[in-house]
Amino acid sequence: MLNELRELYRYRELLWTLVLRELRVRYKNSYLGFFWSLIVPLVTVAVLTIVFKRVMGMVIPNYSAYVLAAFLPWMYFQTALLDSSQSVLAQIQLVKKVYFPREVLPLAAVLANLIHFVLALLVFFVYLLGYVGAPLLPSVALLPVLVFFQTLLIAGLSLIISCLNVFYEDTKYIVSIGLQLMFYLVPVIYFSEQVYHAQIASPEWQRWIYLLYHLNPIAMLMTAYRKILLPPITVQQIGAVQKQTFASLPMDWGLLAVACAVSVVVFMLGYAFFNKRKWDFAEQP
Amino acid sequence: MKDTAILLEHVSKSYRLSHQPYSSLKGILLSMFRYRRRIEVHQALNDVSLTIRHGETVGLIGVNGSGKSTLLAIIARVIRPSAGRVQVNGRVAPLLQLGVGFHPDLTGLENVYFNGIILGLTRQQIAERLPSIVRFAELEEFIDTPVRAYSSGMVLRLGFAVAVHTDPEIILMDEVLAVGDEAFQHKCLRKIQEFQHEGRTILLVSHDMNQVRQVATRTVWLHQGRVMADGATDEVVRQYLAFTEEMERRAI
Repeated sequence: MLNELRELYRYRELLWTLVLRELRVRYKNSYLGFFWSLIVPLVTVAVLTIVFKRVMGMVIPNYSAYVLAAFLPWMYFQTALLDSSQSVLAQIQLVKKVYFPREVLPLAAVLANLIHFVLALLVFFVYLLGYVGAPLLPSVALLPVLVFFQTLLIAGLSLIISCLNVFYEDTKYIVSIGLQLMFYLVPVIYFSEQVYHAQIASPEWQRWIYLLYHLNPIAMLMTAYRKILLPPITVQQIGAVQKQTFASLPMDWGLLAVACAVSVVVFMLGYAFFNKRKWDFAEQP
Repeated sequence: MKDTAILLEHVSKSYRLSHQPYSSLKGILLSMFRYRRRIEVHQALNDVSLTIRHGETVGLIGVNGSGKSTLLAIIARVIRPSAGRVQVNGRVAPLLQLGVGFHPDLTGLENVYFNGIILGLTRQQIAERLPSIVRFAELEEFIDTPVRAYSSGMVLRLGFAVAVHTDPEIILMDEVLAVGDEAFQHKCLRKIQEFQHEGRTILLVSHDMNQVRQVATRTVWLHQGRVMADGATDEVVRQYLAFTEEMERRAI
């Protein structure tokens, strides 16, 4: 793997050029350009806020800020995986003719989305300071750590997905369905505290369900984004029968460490998987 | 062996051809219900040994499916041989087919940078060679236009212009000259002759025997993955044409 990484470093200029090309191409023919990548989360969050506050009866001050804090990382995860699934296949003619480390293709798709994510985070901070008026927490300093491990996780998955998609084009459909379902298994529209108090199990099992839920690294990372970016909050839901209150739980550092470790392992396994098959790409008819 | 550009020793390449290719999930599921998967091994190259010296222009000829493109792909390091040893001394530049590596939404200039970098140039080297590339491609007025608006001839000229400006020691050409008009072909031939004078190595896959006779100093005839003949162009082309005529006569 070290040799592969060294060769990748030799081709860093190609990787960077691909990233720039991806960014340039995406909004080339639209008037609003980059703002489209902000409009999508903002509109989504506006709709979610109306539905959950007015219809579902969640009582949370600044609900939209909490949704956004988890939705932006989710968008990064989702669009990076979808973009990279096609990345190798889209350039198969080039792959068949020119030597270059094949991993630059999925990695460029991931990095282009990382840049979008960072820009969206900057806009989020403007919103947070200007509109919500919330003071920045000291834990915001951990943000780069979360972004780093999330990027490793995404890169590992992208390497696997883009490789499989060369051989089986069903992959991209499976990924797209998987992501749609996954959206409900991560804390974007609801809070991890509500998972803890989920009524699908007896009280002694609640702790285990909470644990299992957060063993999914992307779910844990999103809970962590919320907790480091925004102050703890007590969620109230006014149901038909009774009013429920979910007190804020502290950050589970042990689970976060597990999520980071899993991300590293996923990246290493994904890269090994990709390397084992990358010289068969050109043989695909 | 300092003057050896390309050394192939007993190179073989086999592809697994399954009759139910695993190109879809359906394929996998279906094959699970069969007794056994019928996998045929297709021997694209069979024990090929070749030594090409620096400065040679070698024509590769043979009927379709004889292994010419596979051989070129192995030299370009795009696929790996199943057996044998490959040694390439010097920077290799494949001349890409029409439009490969070009993004239609980007301008000619942006595509020049992308193409140059993928062929191993640095940004700075491209910037230095840019005027010469644009002049060679005769696209001075259109270089800031998206490639989408180019004619196929313009795309071809631009791709060729970038490739010849990468300063390669070994040039691989797979039927690239078949497209393009008379004027462009002349220009390419002149460039090839210039490369020959400069002592660069050229490998040319072509079905156009006149073209092979015109430029190749040596020709290799491949048939069913084996080297049938290797030697002076006139002699090998004569043998090959006699063979194909014989095949045609038998087919009738």
